[in-house]
Amino acid sequence: MTLHKAAEQRDIIDSPEETAHLARTWYSPRGFPGWFTQVNQRMIGKRFIITAFIFFLLAGILGLLMRLQLAAPEQQLLGPELYNQFFTMHGTVMMFFFAIPVMEGVAIYIVPLMVGTRDMAFPRLNAFGYYVYLIGGIVLFGSLLLGMAPNAGWFNYVPLAGKLYSPGYGVDVWTTMITFIEVSALTAAVELIVTILRMRAPGMSLNRMPLFVWAALVMSFMIVFAMPAVIVSSTLLILDRLVDTQFFIVESGGEPLLWQHLFWYFGHPEVYIILVPALGMISTIIITFTGRPIFGYTALVLSVVAIGFVSFGLWVHHMFTTGLPQLGMSFFTAASAMIAIPSGVQIFCWIASLWGAKIRFHTPMLWVLGFFAIFVIGGLTGVMVASIPFDTQVHDTFFVVAHFHYVLIGGAVFPLIGAVYYWWPKIIGRMMNETAGKWSFWLAFIGFNITFFPMHQLGLEGMPRRIYTYADEMGWGDLNMLATIGALVLAVGFGITLVNAIWSVSRGRPAGTNPWNAPTLEWATESPPASYNFRHIPVVESRWPLWDWQRQDERRVVTGLRNDRREVVLTSVLDASPVGVQVLPGPSIWPFASAVAASTGFIGIIFHPIFFVIGFFLVFFSLVAWFWPRRPWRND
Amino acid sequence: MRVLEAVDVSGMSRFNPDRRAPLWWGILGLITIESAVVLTFCVSYLYLAAYAETWPPTGKVPPILWPSINLGLLLLSSFTMYLAGQGINRGDKRVLAIGVTTSVLLATVVLVLRSLELMAYEFSWKDHAYGSIVWAISVFHYVHVTSIVVGSAVVAILAWRGYFTRERQIGVVVDTNYWYFVCIAWIPFYLLLYWVPRLYVG
Repeated sequence: MTLHKAAEQRDIIDSPEETAHLARTWYSPRGFPGWFTQVNQRMIGKRFIITAFIFFLLAGILGLLMRLQLAAPEQQLLGPELYNQFFTMHGTVMMFFFAIPVMEGVAIYIVPLMVGTRDMAFPRLNAFGYYVYLIGGIVLFGSLLLGMAPNAGWFNYVPLAGKLYSPGYGVDVWTTMITFIEVSALTAAVELIVTILRMRAPGMSLNRMPLFVWAALVMSFMIVFAMPAVIVSSTLLILDRLVDTQFFIVESGGEPLLWQHLFWYFGHPEVYIILVPALGMISTIIITFTGRPIFGYTALVLSVVAIGFVSFGLWVHHMFTTGLPQLGMSFFTAASAMIAIPSGVQIFCWIASLWGAKIRFHTPMLWVLGFFAIFVIGGLTGVMVASIPFDTQVHDTFFVVAHFHYVLIGGAVFPLIGAVYYWWPKIIGRMMNETAGKWSFWLAFIGFNITFFPMHQLGLEGMPRRIYTYADEMGWGDLNMLATIGALVLAVGFGITLVNAIWSVSRGRPAGTNPWNAPTLEWATESPPASYNFRHIPVVESRWPLWDWQRQDERRVVTGLRNDRREVVLTSVLDASPVGVQVLPGPSIWPFASAVAASTGFIGIIFHPIFFVIGFFLVFFSLVAWFWPRRPWRND
Repeated sequence: MRVLEAVDVSGMSRFNPDRRAPLWWGILGLITIESAVVLTFCVSYLYLAAYAETWPPTGKVPPILWPSINLGLLLLSSFTMYLAGQGINRGDKRVLAIGVTTSVLLATVVLVLRSLELMAYEFSWKDHAYGSIVWAISVFHYVHVTSIVVGSAVVAILAWRGYFTRERQIGVVVDTNYWYFVCIAWIPFYLLLYWVPRLYVG
């Protein structure tokens, strides 16, 4: 990088006209048609987050209804068919339509701000990914309203999910919706990888990159390598169902276990795809609320990367009861236990960071501390189910339900809510209420444990998962009632945060630029950020740029980007020296049109294979329109 | 707080026709994803083969002549794509246009030959798992060849209209890279569909 010598450095004074011009260049169109043409990363990220939380709410309500059904023996609130649809929808929506998109949404919003750029590498692709996700989610919930929702569980095992045992459109809808979410997740992943590797602020070498950005990078690579397996498996299943291929039909040489291998080869990394960004959020929050650099930055980065790798060697532990060869099972037991090592490194680095620090116990920090308690319990039961004899005993019981809710809610949702409290002031420009935040945390924390801790015992007593009711004589009634009461408390806890968020949009205290005194770049710009994110692209000299600037009372920036078109700086992968300037595209309707075209194909094939051809050509034409170069071809 | 100028980028290139361009990385991402899909199809094929009593179930190996010719044609079309890119690197718009058009025509011949071949398959995807996976892989690759044909036809049209120049050629670069991928992807499929049954059926 060619840094000017101190003597040559020139003070920068912005003229209001230039700033206004820049704001107009990056402006997102508003209003009805305008909404469908927006491409700015903050708009798309915010939509991802809001849409995902709406799905979280809906799937949470399904969970509550299931808890009400199970509260006492032999209830008839939900029949068996509806109960099957509900648990399938609950799992599918929480995993595919809430957890992945919300983590991506936060990354899409925060990562470009954290690395100090003005948008993502492919703004229109971003918008396309969102519309695909939105359409997929609407169709999935539409199927529930029409009473034809999928009902074969969120991992949709064949032969139950085959045409013979699941006639009707339910599983077709599931398979197709998974395709939607694959497309959306993959576009966001590629987008994040390229943005992180090529568009960081000058000087932000890889070893100065914020930990959340590292986590987003690892998450994106995991999506890239895990999702293809579910693309293939869902394709094979839909072919079996629609055009009578024989992939999973034993009589014709098919192999039902192939489904399980392909699904879990995706499905296990998927769990870590959700966990890894949460780890980044935790590190970020701990740094800010201890007010000092984190302990073991390098160890934390390496352990996140290690989790990414090891998570691809664990999938068979979901299949311990399928009669696989002994040697293979032993290998996967060892791998499953091994994941505890990088996870442990994370926990110990955080403990060391908290040790002796003046911790400010604001709401985001509380959610992180809640994570510690819950995730450690979930991790312990994880080590237990990694052992084959134990797993064989509790397989398909409520013990497993308890385990994965501890790791998923504790590991991902608690840090996520903490992150919402943490970044809300940046996104909205106003603070959320602290008192309500603390009430929300304690109710959710207590409610969560009352709901899910008894399920360990229920599982050990032999209560299977996915049953819509049970007989009085089994003696499971009391603990189930307790769990249902806990679920209501948990719901109230989350509900307070929802109300708090809505309240703060108009009534919250104005946040200012950096309300938490955080060290990363997203806090260097106004709250909410202007359309161009940063008036000048910052130059970074350490891991904690904002703390540097406070100490030095001066900061360095990039100049020479034009105001009349959307320009961003491209930097080199390792040490982030500037290598070029990229002109990004502005608002466009074609991402939306392409998403509609793709959806026509995906949804159409449920009814007739010809829609594959129709969809192919519709997408082709909309992509040509999307990429067609606009005159003037040389605009300077 | 003082704000100082540290880096001036006003003189830097706005056209980045090489791996500086985000799109170059974007297409690399797409190729990585699709390579994982190819690999998963290969693993599925081998998994089904490993658990089958006889593979293929009829014991009859598929003919190998035309698939081999297709392999040759695809590799040749990659070479003409490469020459086209070399042309525009020198600023030669004519070589670019002729090269891309030749590749499109070669791949169209492949599509015709593959169509004839698919029609001559002696089994349906409904007959057995072997038929299903062979058809699935065949159609998967067929659709990809179709998409590079139609996509590169658009690039060829733009090339004939003189749109691409030495610095404004990222469209050609990413199209060429994807073209290489689709052609190279045929190699593992070719080995699986036509050589594995020969070596394995024994």
